[in-house]
Amino acid sequence: MSAIKGLAARVRALLFRRATEQALDDEIRFHLEQETEKNIRLGMTPDEARRHALVQFGGLAQAREAHHDVYAARPVEEALADTRYTLRTMRRAPALTAAAILTLALGVGANAAIFSAVNAVVLRPLPYPNPDRLYMLWEENPEKGWYKNVVAPANMLDWREQVAAFADVMGYTDSFGTSTLTKAGEPVIVKPTYTTGNFFSVLGVRAALGRTFTDAETWRTGQSVTVLSHRLWRDRFGGDRRVIGRSIELDGRPVQVVGVMPEGFAYPTEQADLWQPWAWDPANRQQVFFRRAHWLDVVARVKPGVTEEVANAQLQAVVVRLQRDYPATNKLMGAGMTPLHEFLVGDTRLPLLVLLGAVGLLLLIACANVGNLLLVKAAGREREAALRLALGAGRGRLVRQALTESLVLSLAGGACGVALGWWGTRALQAMQPTGMLRVSRFDFDWTVLGYVLAITTVSGLVFGIAPALWSSRRLPLDALKEGGRGGSDSRRVRRWGERLVIGEVALALVLSIGAGLLVRSLLRLQQVNPGFDPNGVLAARLSLPGGRYDSDGKANAFFTRLEERLRTIPGVEGVAGVSAPPLTRTGYTSDFTVAGWPAGTYGSEVAHRRITPDYFKVMKTPVLRGRTFTVDDRLGSPNVVIINEAFARKHFPGQDPVGQRVTFDRIPDSTSTWNTIVGVVGSEHQTKLSLAPQMEVYEPTSQSATNVLSFVIRTTGDPAVLGPSVRMAVAELDRGLAVESMRTMHEVRTASLARERFLTMLLLVFAGVGLALAIVGVYGVMAQMARRRVREMGIRLALGAQANDVRWLVVRNGLRLVVAGLAIGIATALLATRAMAAMLFGVAAKDPLTFVLVPLILVVTAVVATWLPATVASRADPATALRSE
Amino acid sequence: MQPPTSDVLRGTLDLLILKTLTLEPMHGWGIGQRIQQLSRGVLDANQGSLYPAFQRLEQKGWIESEWRTTENNRRARYYRLTGAGRRAVGTEAASWRRYVEAVEFILQTT
Repeated sequence: MSAIKGLAARVRALLFRRATEQALDDEIRFHLEQETEKNIRLGMTPDEARRHALVQFGGLAQAREAHHDVYAARPVEEALADTRYTLRTMRRAPALTAAAILTLALGVGANAAIFSAVNAVVLRPLPYPNPDRLYMLWEENPEKGWYKNVVAPANMLDWREQVAAFADVMGYTDSFGTSTLTKAGEPVIVKPTYTTGNFFSVLGVRAALGRTFTDAETWRTGQSVTVLSHRLWRDRFGGDRRVIGRSIELDGRPVQVVGVMPEGFAYPTEQADLWQPWAWDPANRQQVFFRRAHWLDVVARVKPGVTEEVANAQLQAVVVRLQRDYPATNKLMGAGMTPLHEFLVGDTRLPLLVLLGAVGLLLLIACANVGNLLLVKAAGREREAALRLALGAGRGRLVRQALTESLVLSLAGGACGVALGWWGTRALQAMQPTGMLRVSRFDFDWTVLGYVLAITTVSGLVFGIAPALWSSRRLPLDALKEGGRGGSDSRRVRRWGERLVIGEVALALVLSIGAGLLVRSLLRLQQVNPGFDPNGVLAARLSLPGGRYDSDGKANAFFTRLEERLRTIPGVEGVAGVSAPPLTRTGYTSDFTVAGWPAGTYGSEVAHRRITPDYFKVMKTPVLRGRTFTVDDRLGSPNVVIINEAFARKHFPGQDPVGQRVTFDRIPDSTSTWNTIVGVVGSEHQTKLSLAPQMEVYEPTSQSATNVLSFVIRTTGDPAVLGPSVRMAVAELDRGLAVESMRTMHEVRTASLARERFLTMLLLVFAGVGLALAIVGVYGVMAQMARRRVREMGIRLALGAQANDVRWLVVRNGLRLVVAGLAIGIATALLATRAMAAMLFGVAAKDPLTFVLVPLILVVTAVVATWLPATVASRADPATALRSE
Repeated sequence: MQPPTSDVLRGTLDLLILKTLTLEPMHGWGIGQRIQQLSRGVLDANQGSLYPAFQRLEQKGWIESEWRTTENNRRARYYRLTGAGRRAVGTEAASWRRYVEAVEFILQTT
């Protein structure tokens, strides 16, 4: 209580300084009058009485000053004075100030940009009510090597009904490709997400216009409905509110628009254009395929107050029951739950954290550089500090002043850094490969600004503390004695400078080794043989609207006609169709068994793709054994498949797979279709170059039809120029059909590495900046040292030393520091790079080549950086050097 | 000027002010007079140093002040003890006695 009263008095004094002073004056006047009256009563003359009163009081000015000191105003006033002083010295050394601010701005800006991404993707909670109660549910199966896998619908429905801890459970997928939207201008490709009816209610979002789905719409209602994204509504329907209730056409089928989502709603991804309820046939519930095929992403909302442990325990109980009740499909099917946010962040967390670490190192290097600049400056002002100490200034006062200086500097740097960071954030948003991060907009919100303010202040303290302590610890006498003319050759300042150089070199090395590892990894990836020849091939993807192409025969006939038509385009060497080109995505996978295997043995996770006969010829995928498909492999003739090398190696080691028969059922029965293996081809990388090719079978489209086919077109010239001809050919055969995507296989290959390339590039830029800053730091310290020792060098030269000797003396000195820094840096990097092992391909985190080459580069640049000051020192003219004292 | 014996230490002055105020609220000049009177003229505090002491004590929350009119109808700032101040008189006086005893002990033994 009394403390609060005291504080109030202080604050009052600070805020109402004039009033406080006025009150004091009044009080003193009263005092003097009383004293004078007393003196008159004692018999003095009025004049004498007044003089006596003043003497007795003991000096008005001191009383006022002492009174002022007691109040809090002093520290604030001092800080303001320090700030003014700092601004003045900054103006007097604009080059130095600009260098310091720019260095800091680089460090802070890089941090602000990366942190804004981390904030948006990792830190900011999902934009749904009570997001911490949302969990991703997934399945796992040791036999198939599944972990966090998509879920079979029947299992999801059972979880929803039987796990009491779940308030509700919904399922969706957006991996069924795209749809063609017609009757709303030109045909356009849209990305649908298929959902259970409670999709939106589990997330807790409402439609901006109209309604979302009802629970009943999970099942067939006789009416196809859809909810549009805000973006699609704006771009395609001109933001017309009357769209609600209107019928549009998706893949040739009429669908009624029932709602429009609010702007910014982007689940599951930002690419989502519209949502459609499953409208399952209720009979599916009892069908075995509903439990055998896994394709749903499942999200649960747990009831309030239920912990993850409790919910998971209940889920496991249901899982065990399902394993027992449905052994054919669920015998080894496990399940688990992960907080939704964590699940969505997924594998972007590590790269983001590595980047955050990298910019952290960058900022430290920047701090070391600025700290060195300040140190040099403090050394130059040593005599001033000594003088002030001698005249009675408190050491704390000097430390405060030095810190004020560094804080002002860091805040200026931070302000520029925010500007740079804002620009960097925009650049990051623009350049990040599509879909790499879950969120593509990272705003500069208060969290980011708070973070920037925090790192700015901390870095100000970090680089300011050394010069501050240093300048105040000096004994005044020493400093005054020592300094001849501008002489500040204290061992301490040199040692501090050397430490900073060592630190900087170590930090820059860690950063560069990290970047070096990523570069090596990317080079390795680029060398990976994709299993096909991507040069000169264009891939164009089509999906036939199920409305008009409602039978396998119609689809196959259209594709055959199109293939023939495409062959007539001038320059085209070959055309073939494939259900999914390599390096894009896997098709579905299945179990299988081979005729002649002991009963009950089977294999898992073989991927399926459908192709037309010329596929391997067009892609130049080597045929290792047997034959490819021909036009004679058609409906009615024996079913044939071709397997890839990965499959042959794993399941037919030392035997010829050609002629063997497989079926894609785990336990074959009378209904199973047996397929004869007619050939073995080289393995193509199905999804990523960094993943080994999966086991795969190819089926001819003639025996296993599909509505979605990509045409791969090999040409003698540049495949990209074929685009218009391909579109024309498609339009010729079907006006209502849009080509979904058209990319050269070269682009596909490049795009499959986009994420790795982007990360490598970013880290390389950071490492480059860090290295440059460190080298500038080395140069600065060495130049400073050379300048200080110019007299010594002059004497050496006068005594007969060669210019070369002197030069080496300086270079050697610099190298000593660099090598020390490298040693520390290598040790640190050995520990630090372990964290990024998961991001590396074909390169160990302790890759010897990187750990030798990168330090070597650093040494060479450091030698160059010390060479210049060394040369200056070696040219010291003995006469002038000596006279300059 | 002043004899050295009356050069009152800062902490002592605070204690004297507090003690004086235990009698009744008083203005600055009055406090100075009272200290002089009670010490029979031995302690003649530098009157200018009284006022910073008042601020110090006010910040500690031991005294508070208000402007009042004196019996002669003049405006003056009156200081009075707070509850915390009243408690502080006891502890401050005790520590002062310990201090005096210690000094006295040293004077006797050497």
